[in-house]
Amino acid sequence: MTPGWWAMALCEAVKDQVPLAVAFAGEELVLFRNAAGQAFALEDRCPHRRVPLALGRVVESGLQCGYHGWTFDGASGGCTQIPNLHTDERVPARYAARAFAVSEANGFVHVWLGEGAPQGQLPSSDYQPGGREFTGSTIVNMSHDQYLDAMLDGPECLLGFAHVRLTDFFLGDLRSEQGRVVLERGAVWTTQILPSQFVVDYPLIVRTAVPFNGGTVRVDLLSEDELPLVTLMIATGANRRGTTSLCWRGFVHEHVHLRAPLRWRLARLRKQAPFQVNSRIDGTAVAALLQTSSRELRELRQPTLIPVSAVV
Amino acid sequence: MHAVPSSTDTIPGKVRGDWTPINYDLRDTWFPVSHSRDLGNRPIRRIIHAQPYYLWRDNGRAVAAEFHPHFPHKELTLTAFTGGRGFYPLVERYGYIWVWYGNPDAADMQLLPHIPFLPQDGSLPGYTQRTVRFDATSALSVENLIDLTHADFLHANTIGDGVSESDVVEVQWTSETVTRTRTVAQKSVAPIMRWVGGVRARYQDFRAVLHIHLRSNVCISYPRFRPGYDVPNLQPFLPVGKHRSRCDVTFNTTAAPAPFRYVMPRINYIIQPQDNSVVRPQNQRYFEVDPRRDLHSRFDTPGTRYRYQMEQLAERQRAGQFTYGGDAEPGRDITALLGMND
Repeated sequence: MTPGWWAMALCEAVKDQVPLAVAFAGEELVLFRNAAGQAFALEDRCPHRRVPLALGRVVESGLQCGYHGWTFDGASGGCTQIPNLHTDERVPARYAARAFAVSEANGFVHVWLGEGAPQGQLPSSDYQPGGREFTGSTIVNMSHDQYLDAMLDGPECLLGFAHVRLTDFFLGDLRSEQGRVVLERGAVWTTQILPSQFVVDYPLIVRTAVPFNGGTVRVDLLSEDELPLVTLMIATGANRRGTTSLCWRGFVHEHVHLRAPLRWRLARLRKQAPFQVNSRIDGTAVAALLQTSSRELRELRQPTLIPVSAVV
Repeated sequence: MHAVPSSTDTIPGKVRGDWTPINYDLRDTWFPVSHSRDLGNRPIRRIIHAQPYYLWRDNGRAVAAEFHPHFPHKELTLTAFTGGRGFYPLVERYGYIWVWYGNPDAADMQLLPHIPFLPQDGSLPGYTQRTVRFDATSALSVENLIDLTHADFLHANTIGDGVSESDVVEVQWTSETVTRTRTVAQKSVAPIMRWVGGVRARYQDFRAVLHIHLRSNVCISYPRFRPGYDVPNLQPFLPVGKHRSRCDVTFNTTAAPAPFRYVMPRINYIIQPQDNSVVRPQNQRYFEVDPRRDLHSRFDTPGTRYRYQMEQLAERQRAGQFTYGGDAEPGRDITALLGMND
């Protein structure tokens, strides 16, 4: 993990009444938005008695701790209210929770972790949805590094596209594009009678783009002409005890693939989910994966850590 | 010479930073480990920190031992807590089984707390007694109790909000006790007192005195509501390790009308989950010295005094001083201190 912007939640999951707790790479955060819709991130720890602020509620002046009612401004983290103080009593200026910079874009809430002023592109910047989106979030029982590795070595263990069977025949080696390693593999329609090894040219391509240092994974289902059919963005982050948080958005492109089977087209018309991200991962299948392209990813990874201090 | 050294888990020296209540393991005190009515011929087990206490009655006489009476020789290692004899000092009073934790040669009945609203022979009806469990170490549980301002948020639906005409919190202490007195004028009537106790007034005054014995976490509480009732109660937090505490409570509501007298002792079944929702995640954040000290408001004065007095006491025990200070007198009459004579 390097300092930078990290997608941590879906925009619609961050609400203006109930805060959302997020564990990300060792940080405990709480996300919420004010009545005007602006999203904020604070450390999920009241500086008064260390209780998670996520147990509190959103009020007009910020996030109110559920234990004693201390309230913190979302932007600065400053304590705006201690209940029962007299009107002439002031809260000391240094009383504050740690606050983090937040940026919302493309349906994701991004939080800046690290020193210095927030800068650089958001990890979801290349996600431009068209039409109906399909979203979700979960925590999988797999470590973050292993999840990213498996996304290259065997994405079929982690997700699936409707009516599509992924193969493990890689179309080339890893290549580097915009901070991600990209790998393509062949895929076939499940309606195909013959097994995939009898295919001369794969009718589908699954392109997996995994960030060097974790973060947002992009998966595209492409036609053999490399026209995008389905795009999926999965924001990943290390949760506690070796688990991984996921939240995702995806959509079917407007382009209608003429050689797609009827059932796929009907599903598209019925606006059925074109993919699924697995909440339960088959340990036997993952254990059986051979280490292939992830070997190179590990070599490319930069072993840096996020500094613990807040940026605001 | 003291037979039981301080726990190796206690901090060896003074460390700069915030307190670490998880590591308190204070010795030479009486712990009320069970309601008397819960003890019969069948052995039961209680734990103080990591020390097992097996309790049973032998011809009606309460016994506390390091070993299970049915398996007396099973991997038995007698410790200094019993002087190698296997049996702990024990006293039965106020409806509780009190056992000694520390050097058995220092056990002294004069060190038992004085609890003026409980009959010495424990002759109270069963509805006054309940057992609840807290998902935090005993010191954090006590701090939760001493801090009444959290009730305005966490327990507003049962105890009431914090809106009042005046609200004065005072604290006094000795080397072994901390006493908090909160006097509130014209407070909204607590929901339980309104709906169950039949207090139809809109506002009420109340004075709540909480007397805490630091070594044993015995909390003697005397809240008086006017109009309303007195709700004297004993909440002894037994330190069952670093993550949990057990509380065998007694609410002497016998002078209050029905159904309030029956319902009030059961209020802990509502209060306790609410408290656990915050102390449970809070507990794990107090295991290590945090360079970021907790912030305080003036409402935390009793709590900060409690922290300071606990640190002082722990410091003395770390230095090998286990005797009670001259100002302590755990057994002194606290009737006036609790405001029972007013």
